[in-house]
Amino acid sequence: MGNEERIAVKVDADLKELIPGFLQTRHDDVAAIAAALEKGDWNAVYIMGHSMKGSGGGYGFDEISEIGAVIETAAKAKDAAAVKSGAVRLSDYLGRIDITYV
Amino acid sequence: MGILIVDDSKDSRDLLKTFLKGAGYKDITTAASAQEAFEALGVNGADHRHKIPFKVILMDGVMPEMNGIEACRVIKADAHLADIPVIMVTAMGEQESLNEAFEAGATDYITKPVKKIELLARVRSVLRLHQEMERRKVREKELIETLKQLSEANRVLTLLSAQDGLTGLANRRHFDENFSAEWRRAMRDRQPLSVVMADIDHFKLYNDHYGHQGGDTCLRQVAAVIGQVARRPGDIAARYGGEEFVLILPDTPLEGGMRIAEEAAAAVRALRLPHEKSSAAPYVTLSMGVACMVPDRSKEMKELIERADRALYAAKRQGRNRVKAAAEE
Repeated sequence: MGNEERIAVKVDADLKELIPGFLQTRHDDVAAIAAALEKGDWNAVYIMGHSMKGSGGGYGFDEISEIGAVIETAAKAKDAAAVKSGAVRLSDYLGRIDITYV
Repeated sequence: MGILIVDDSKDSRDLLKTFLKGAGYKDITTAASAQEAFEALGVNGADHRHKIPFKVILMDGVMPEMNGIEACRVIKADAHLADIPVIMVTAMGEQESLNEAFEAGATDYITKPVKKIELLARVRSVLRLHQEMERRKVREKELIETLKQLSEANRVLTLLSAQDGLTGLANRRHFDENFSAEWRRAMRDRQPLSVVMADIDHFKLYNDHYGHQGGDTCLRQVAAVIGQVARRPGDIAARYGGEEFVLILPDTPLEGGMRIAEEAAAAVRALRLPHEKSSAAPYVTLSMGVACMVPDRSKEMKELIERADRALYAAKRQGRNRVKAAAEE
């Protein structure tokens, strides 16, 4: 895994105010997904995945939509390993993005 | 210009709202569930008036509890809200549900993740459509109102065109139309049709003596009495000429026609309108002729009128102030 590689993301300037909150919620999702898995709350995992899938690309983060889709599918299949790997991928992605507002 | 955003995901609500605000839209309301949306809209609520009149609803497809398609169906079932366009906002892979969404009454759809340009273009076009529809509804309403006024004006005009201006009885034109209709009806039904012709005795002398205004007043009073006598449905009392009146009495044999004529003559006498110059009586009186026929193809309509007229002249010859029946011919 090339953790050091930065990812440039272009985001609509209209959304500047929303981005910190949006990214914070994704960070929280990483922890929330782990907690829900712990409790076996597949529905909560599914909803988080579905919501990420629906909103990520809209904010300019297509990768977050893709990860959301993976988590949504994995939750439906009750595949804990796939959910975990999705959460790791999300955490990794969040650590490497550089945002420019356009 | 209210826009309602319905989505269970805060991120999605914030995103849509921010894009729309950035494009200059104001009055944006958000709802986190179908239930919240119903409250904002006033679904099934008694009071729609205090609610924001939304121009468009952006509706998430998949939501916990009630989904967007079901919510759309509920909104479309409410008569007050049915015209608000609903744009479904559905994630990739949910496209199978679009048929269902359109069946539920959705106007358009946008796929998630939402692209700003697409969102704004769809909202703009749906709003324009809605505005055009509203404008058309207003125009239709105006048109219906105009049609109503027109038909009322027509009704009044028809009434006026059938009425004699001075006396308020049917005029000659109305009489001619109705007489031929009654003639045909009587022929069809093989029923007797009676006609009464009436003339105010020495009306020329009355006019000369009491003046034209006095003459008009006399005509009006006599007409009112005659109008009251011809009171069965189908009966028509008309002003036939200057001081001449005519009654059409459907389904009436000669004796019935005579009875009504006598009633009219007595009622006019009872007015006791002074008529110094009359040779018949010191007050206004009528001479009347009554004729009756059961119309058939061998007879002519004008024959009935002519018979009544001849009876009227017989009444005059015999001293006026009397009713004469037409001789059997």
